[in-house]
Amino acid sequence: MTVKVEKIEGGIPHNTIMVAGLIASVVLVYLTYANVLTGTQYFAFFGGLATVAALVWGSHTIKHLCSYGIGTGVPSAGMMAFGSGVIAMLFATKYGIAAPIVAVILAAVVGAILGYVANNVLNMKIPVMIVSLVEMAVIGALVLMGYAAMMSGSFELSALTTGSVSILGLSLPSYQASFLGGALIATAFMLGGIAIQHPFNACLGPSWTQDRMLYLAAECGFLSMIAAAIMSMPLISMGAALVSLFVAVIGWYYTYAKYIELSKRDAFSWLDSKPIPEVEGQ
Amino acid sequence: MSAIGAKPAAGSAMDMTATIIGIIILLVIIAATYFLVGPGMAFMALIGVIAGGILIGFGVHFVPVGGAPAAMGQAPGIATGVAMLAAGAGLAGLFGGAWAAELGIVVATVTGAVGGGLMMAITCMFVNFIYVFGMGIPSASGKVARDPITGDTQAEFKSQGTEGHGLPFVSYVGGVIGGLFGGAGGTLIYLMLLEVYTEELPGMMNALPGQILPIAVTLAGIFAIGMFLVNAVLAAYNITGTIEGPHDPKFKRFPRAIVASAIASAVCGMVAIMIVAL
Repeated sequence: MTVKVEKIEGGIPHNTIMVAGLIASVVLVYLTYANVLTGTQYFAFFGGLATVAALVWGSHTIKHLCSYGIGTGVPSAGMMAFGSGVIAMLFATKYGIAAPIVAVILAAVVGAILGYVANNVLNMKIPVMIVSLVEMAVIGALVLMGYAAMMSGSFELSALTTGSVSILGLSLPSYQASFLGGALIATAFMLGGIAIQHPFNACLGPSWTQDRMLYLAAECGFLSMIAAAIMSMPLISMGAALVSLFVAVIGWYYTYAKYIELSKRDAFSWLDSKPIPEVEGQ
Repeated sequence: MSAIGAKPAAGSAMDMTATIIGIIILLVIIAATYFLVGPGMAFMALIGVIAGGILIGFGVHFVPVGGAPAAMGQAPGIATGVAMLAAGAGLAGLFGGAWAAELGIVVATVTGAVGGGLMMAITCMFVNFIYVFGMGIPSASGKVARDPITGDTQAEFKSQGTEGHGLPFVSYVGGVIGGLFGGAGGTLIYLMLLEVYTEELPGMMNALPGQILPIAVTLAGIFAIGMFLVNAVLAAYNITGTIEGPHDPKFKRFPRAIVASAIASAVCGMVAIMIVAL
């Protein structure tokens, strides 16, 4: 029996957030494919919006998992998500247009095996462990794919490894000026990894409220998106990068203002702390 | 993790059925890779990746992780979580080893181990500086009566109501050993994947080996980081958060972590190798 130390009462159920996050982030990643169809790069910002959708879902999954008291701190869950997600995401980029779907499926398989290992071999015995690690791996893969699509305009392996540098007006192909060759993926890894674990780490406690945490997650996502938009400037056209930056700043400002408003709301009320609810199995 | 601080339910017993199923998964993955890529370099790389993952999973058990109680001076160890600590030590080792990659596998792995151990030695020293001179607490272990290395008694220095505090000598040594193992394991994973990628990528992308090197280095590096974090977090789940070092009773749980790290590294390593081999 595991003692559940934090309660989830009211608010949007976890399954709703999961389905909405999964569909939204996959669809938004696919919308960046409009770049290929129209021959421009202006749709790259959809990749950034996909990361925000996945990060909102991810912060709630962390809440769901860490409410059982895993004992290792909240950041470890975020690191696990991206450690397993990056492997599935990079493998999936080989499959061209099918990449996001392959990434979701492969990440789910990797996450399921890791979840089994953690829950049964390591004897964690947490009811939501396997499901949560599956979700985390999928989120990690989708966030990284979103950043890849946003920074390089495409989610295919050839586009992620090949960029171009212009020397004296000549455009030459270069492997170093690319998402992978320039190691931008390492920065994307940490941008996402910090954004996913921070919301619950910052909001946990007796006065936890769901809407405040989810707005903070979106705020962290847009803040990472601003950094990603700046990093996309050498890889995609300046106009497209500025569109991404504009969208990110607008989104960040809105969610930040909303988060401050909700923080002020919650600062007034002190929740009556009740005895620890004990949940047997599931 | 929460103000209430509930202890996780994970026991120290080993679930034999799950362990056997886990080992079967491991063997299936190794066999599948053997059939897909043959007995060549890529297959040996998978074995190297698994060995590196086991080194990381084992090494984490030596590191004195204190978590939040240590920050309040109520438990011994370094006052942060396993994921942060292992990532710091392991990545320091990995970067050290990556610089020496062209000097051969033995030199590079030893360099990685020294890098990780050095990082942990410096961390442990400054942690003790802060504990002793900043917080004014002596180092005392709560799990053993005498320090297994120096033989110093511990009980007189332990405050009532705490599980010990500070960083006793045995924990310091454990931290350095953990850094050595972690750095070596991370570097081994990096070297194995780098070898596969520098060999296979030029043919796959129709480019010269020199042009492809940045991509091979990035791919091997990001996979090594990813696998490092997965193994470190699994080991952290095994010790359920905090451990004092090699003298802690929780240290005896390491066989579980070795099985878990082997399976996790095999899964991740297989996918990482298939990027170029399929």
